[in-house]
Amino acid sequence: MAGGGKSRHARLRVRSVGPEPSASVGHAGHNAGPTETVTVLVRRSATSNEDRFVIRRQPRMKVLDLLVAIQRDHDPSLAFRYSCRVAMCGTCALRMDGTAGLACQTAVPDHLREVHLAPLAGLPVLRDLVVDVAPFFARWAAVTPYLVPHPGATAPARVRPDSPERQVIDPALDCITCGICYSACSVSEDGRDFLGPAALNRAMVLIADSRDASRSERLARIGNLDGVDRCHYIGGCTSCCPKDLDPFGAIRQLRRWRLTGIQGIPTP
Amino acid sequence: MSDLPDPELIETDVAIIGTGGAGLMCALHIAEHSPACDVTLVSKGIVGKSGCTRMVQGGFNAVLNPRDSIEDHFADTLAGGYWLNDQELAWTLVNDAPKVVNELETRVGCFFDRAPDGAIHQKAFAGQTFDRTVHRGDLTGLEIMGRLRDQMFRIGVRELEDVRALDLVIDDNGVAGLSALDIRSGQPILIAARVVVMATGGAATMYRLATPAREKTGDGIAMCYRAGLELRDMEMLQFHPTGLLVGESRLTGALLEEGLRGSGALLLNALGERFMTRYDPERMERSTRDVVSRGSYLEIVEGRGTPDGGVFIDISSVLSADEIRRRFPGMVDRTRRLGQDLSLGPVEVSPVAHFQMGGVVIDVDCHTSLPGLLVAGEDSGGVHGANRLGGNGVAESTVFGARAGDTAARLVTERARGRPSPGAAQQSFARAFRPLGTDAGEHPMALTRELKDLMWQQAGVVRNRANLSAALDALDDLSARTARTRAPGPPEMNPTWQEALDLENQVVAARCLVASALVREESRGAHFRADFPDRDDRRWLRSIRIKADADGRPEIHTVPVDLSRLAPTGIEDHPANAVDTRMPDQTESPGHSGRADEGGSTT
Repeated sequence: MAGGGKSRHARLRVRSVGPEPSASVGHAGHNAGPTETVTVLVRRSATSNEDRFVIRRQPRMKVLDLLVAIQRDHDPSLAFRYSCRVAMCGTCALRMDGTAGLACQTAVPDHLREVHLAPLAGLPVLRDLVVDVAPFFARWAAVTPYLVPHPGATAPARVRPDSPERQVIDPALDCITCGICYSACSVSEDGRDFLGPAALNRAMVLIADSRDASRSERLARIGNLDGVDRCHYIGGCTSCCPKDLDPFGAIRQLRRWRLTGIQGIPTP
Repeated sequence: MSDLPDPELIETDVAIIGTGGAGLMCALHIAEHSPACDVTLVSKGIVGKSGCTRMVQGGFNAVLNPRDSIEDHFADTLAGGYWLNDQELAWTLVNDAPKVVNELETRVGCFFDRAPDGAIHQKAFAGQTFDRTVHRGDLTGLEIMGRLRDQMFRIGVRELEDVRALDLVIDDNGVAGLSALDIRSGQPILIAARVVVMATGGAATMYRLATPAREKTGDGIAMCYRAGLELRDMEMLQFHPTGLLVGESRLTGALLEEGLRGSGALLLNALGERFMTRYDPERMERSTRDVVSRGSYLEIVEGRGTPDGGVFIDISSVLSADEIRRRFPGMVDRTRRLGQDLSLGPVEVSPVAHFQMGGVVIDVDCHTSLPGLLVAGEDSGGVHGANRLGGNGVAESTVFGARAGDTAARLVTERARGRPSPGAAQQSFARAFRPLGTDAGEHPMALTRELKDLMWQQAGVVRNRANLSAALDALDDLSARTARTRAPGPPEMNPTWQEALDLENQVVAARCLVASALVREESRGAHFRADFPDRDDRRWLRSIRIKADADGRPEIHTVPVDLSRLAPTGIEDHPANAVDTRMPDQTESPGHSGRADEGGSTT
């Protein structure tokens, strides 16, 4: 869970030397207060080009508000997803100036003049900023993402909150399956053979869970050709995660466990 | 409408509309009972990512501790609901909740927070006599929905993603299936089923300030109303007292959790006064959601609010910054991302529309008056009465979702699959496709805005006859205009078209709400009438029922609450006798020439 302040979620950088400022954007320098408008360049699926919109700034604006303003005041046909707007559903994930993040959580900085918006990478585009998440979930499903309970389990397991097992699991648990890590990963892509960071993080959580009866099988599964060895150790996944999870750490953990075997995994 | 494309036909055993906690729990239970049953999930957005179960912060009320009791949870739920609850439904909720928590932990794979001894931890929540709220940090819903979604990969159901249910299709045998729209392709779909389960969630998004996920637009309520089903307690719409105010941003309405008030946070008006002294001097900020929301609202309308129309919640003067960060990391993070900091100072909040207590009349097995149609979760009414306790919401959706699954598994062996003819759904498709083919009419996004402002101003936290009557008139007008919207562009993934269809459903739910609110001439729970400020048990221990008559006009009657399990103190030992028998029990008009949604088809 995010402990305030340390979050690594997407931040839009204000370029000191931007593209030629248009009249509507004005010439506001860094010391001259917020720009009155933000120029938004959105990748459109119909043309594969960027459409340009000049949006009036509101106080405390998020990238999601830019999209809503475009759809409401400029082009109602712009397609994008969002649902919860509190970083729980993950459906507003997209790339902002090339970096994947959640539109609902990414602030529009005071001096931002222009931003480029594009759909997540590595997934088929349905329309404009909307992608088909099926390939992401196909990989998620491939690691047996559900608990396989021990046959005799009829009551909640007694697990101390400070047990070694929970120390590994708890920080890795709140994945919202937004697909941002998948987009940020240079190896994950629809059609390429890699389970990807989110699915491997899920596998790590279940392999560490003493309530699960299928840990050995899962550990073997992530050692297949599409498993942990495909990771290039770049860490784009962890640097982009909007929930401050560490899928890169999970992959390294899984590689260690593959060497130590199941007995190397912490027990309650 | 001969130019409509022919619908694709999908045949299934059970069609589940909605993929929140109720829908997925239902699918899971069908699979447990009859693995061969063909189940189809119909999801307006991404499966498992639409709806509000995912957004649940606080937790899940269940009696797990031997020192707690089912009877106490039941009594708390009825007292919290101001005795308007259907007692059989509430009794079912509290009895099944421990079983469902156990199932979520041992079969579904959830892991809830533990006490130091390794047993499930339960925390305190408002309105409860025992600490019985099971939770996973302050992101409980995410754990439940994440693991339920994982289970779908195990049981293998048909998932219709980005598919909007339009209307129930009915034949002589009851429900025959539903009409639907593939949002991606813009093509119509006809689904033939033995059983249909409605689990779409409520319609609180009809208000300008609201917490729920965007796709929750009262679709289930509207589909059931158009199909002639009876709705109850639609006037009971809960306002949560602490939604964030972020100006024009879409983030306005995002919630700060109830635990803050539980931990001593102060509520202050713009003058710095602890205004709850005026509204509940005993419980102050720890009072129930309805009382605190009303207090904040009155401060704001009486000019003691902030310029942006809010009040302040302040926990920084009660706990140290470190303590706040340790106990409420999610909430601190949420405020920081909006340029404020809960751990350092007051944060601006407002009451926000949150949860719909009312809904379709069901029995404990989720049956409705329409054979083959089951309803579970926020689409149904009666479990919570006039006010829902925090922690009973996700309990309801999973408990009744599971029961709907159990019932559906039984029903599929008894019921033939419906054979909806395209003709039977023609009216539904015609209504849905109408905005596409026209250049005239208003833009639905502007009308949505109008609806939200109207509901907030005229039918919100504090109501009166004049405002509600005006609202009903305005909704008549809005309804007529909604039936004349336009959605330029192609059928594929057309946001304007989808907005038009959302709006039609929201307006149906709004009219049911306002018509019911006009009839209830007392104040109870979430429903507060400035012109009838007192609770009146003699006249109003009654549930208001609304349904469309054969011509689609709203027909209202009232039904006394059955208090046979438990009666409030002050009511005589045979409580039904204490209710004023002069109260009209017959069909009556809502005091207005209200007409049902003219654009709606009654299939």
